[in-house]
Amino acid sequence: MNFARDIWRSIFRRDPLLTDKGKSELVFLNVWLHIHPAKVKTENMRFKHTFYLGFITFFLFVVLVTTGIALMFYYRPYPPHAYQDMKDLEYVVFLGSFLRGMHRWAAHGMVICVFLHMCRVFYTASYKKPRQFNWVIGVLLLLLTLGLSFTGYLLPWDQLAFWAITVGTNIGSYAPIVGGQVREILLGGHSVGEAGLLRFYVLHVAVLPSAVILLTIVHFWRVRKDGGLSRPIWKLKPKKQEELVTIGAPPVTAAVNAVVASPQKTYGLMEVVTGKPIFETISPEEEDEAVFSYPYAFFREAIALLATVVGVMLMSLLFRAPLEELANPAKTPNPAKAPWYFLGLQELVSHSALLGGVVAPTLMVLALLVIPYFDRSPSRRPIDRKWAIWLFTIFVAANLILIVVGTFFRGPGWALVPPWVHVTGAVE
Amino acid sequence: MMPSVFYEPPQSFKIGDPADFAFGPPTFLADEKIYVFRDREKGFAAASAICTHLGCTVSHFQSDGKFHCPCHGSVFAADGSVIHGPAPRALQWFEVTEARDGQLQIDKDKIVPPSYRLMV
Repeated sequence: MNFARDIWRSIFRRDPLLTDKGKSELVFLNVWLHIHPAKVKTENMRFKHTFYLGFITFFLFVVLVTTGIALMFYYRPYPPHAYQDMKDLEYVVFLGSFLRGMHRWAAHGMVICVFLHMCRVFYTASYKKPRQFNWVIGVLLLLLTLGLSFTGYLLPWDQLAFWAITVGTNIGSYAPIVGGQVREILLGGHSVGEAGLLRFYVLHVAVLPSAVILLTIVHFWRVRKDGGLSRPIWKLKPKKQEELVTIGAPPVTAAVNAVVASPQKTYGLMEVVTGKPIFETISPEEEDEAVFSYPYAFFREAIALLATVVGVMLMSLLFRAPLEELANPAKTPNPAKAPWYFLGLQELVSHSALLGGVVAPTLMVLALLVIPYFDRSPSRRPIDRKWAIWLFTIFVAANLILIVVGTFFRGPGWALVPPWVHVTGAVE
Repeated sequence: MMPSVFYEPPQSFKIGDPADFAFGPPTFLADEKIYVFRDREKGFAAASAICTHLGCTVSHFQSDGKFHCPCHGSVFAADGSVIHGPAPRALQWFEVTEARDGQLQIDKDKIVPPSYRLMV
């Protein structure tokens, strides 16, 4: 059957996967796979190096896009219909409740995994030269993730959604000079209403996901261009530190002799670069420690993908996404709480809207953005960066404490309550 | 970026006949988010029910005569001034007038001091 073979060969132009050449071609002749290197260092595939958090975050995003598109078939972003469509998804649409649950739990999971991924990158000092700007892109992706969560929160148009967005957009209006306008542009009006719902919907399904996709491409591309994952912390030796300091091409000192190319040559040489590349590469002596991406890396990624999808499915089987009563602008639920990842912010805001809602978060984001430019020491060993680790740990702990206080220790009227009232009910 | 037309409730509106409002506890107008007070000696007054902190709807407690915000625990005195919590400003009071047809009219664009009253 030459005909069938011709078609097959026209689609898959690589050699069979039995050979090393075939395994390499699988990666670099395929537009989707070529973000991988043909070979990876075994140490970089170790679970305890990255916990696969970047992959899991990306897979959760894929789950979110898939379930989100499915949900779009059943949802109309207009107040009389939006809540009705939610009810239909819960009780009428086949697997609608499950679908909504998957979207919700994947969204929560993505917020958690983005944050944990950031922590991993910080503690392994993987943001250091030449990776500084990729950290900045990562922080922007964190902000976009929070923006997606926030805009998605309004769409069910129930009490929870309505008041979380009322409070959230009012926090923004405390920003000096532009605050009031930002809120009005976001809501397309002066209060949360139909114009606001439409704007949040468009941001949620078109604007923000596009931005995430574009930045994710750059994020992955730069990881690859910077030589793949950073070297695991336990592989760092003092000698390696010196090498890291000298990355980047030193000036040419020796005379370069021109060599006349043979007329029979079958290759073209674009440019000769002297010195070391700006990124870490697999040196010849490390060749033994590297394996082909196919099947070793791809198999591990597939396991991570499966585990992510199964985890999200299990969560949505066990826990339903909540849906409160229809949004009622006249009646504020007591207490009115934002989604949990904003409860730290709400806790701050309960003390001062300007300081807690605008100044503190702005300073936090700025501090995250400039970390790689202030922490200039090339050493990645924990022993050399005690101060940085302490500061970041305090930052993480402060955020967690604020979220825990806002979630469990705040009751009606935002009064301090012991956490068990959420289980046992408030004592009258 | 901003809509040319807002399909929102008007800032100035009629709320009904003076006789519709009882003396004593204030009447809460849910759509307009306004508390209408009627006092036997002093007359009508209208207070905003929107918390000046982050826009939640405050509740008027008959027991202590104060406004309580459910979101962040702000408490406003009977005259709207802040006595507790993160709210930065006092609740607003709006001008109440009697329209030509005898109905009460409220204009949210006209802020008046808490002492303002309309005697009908």
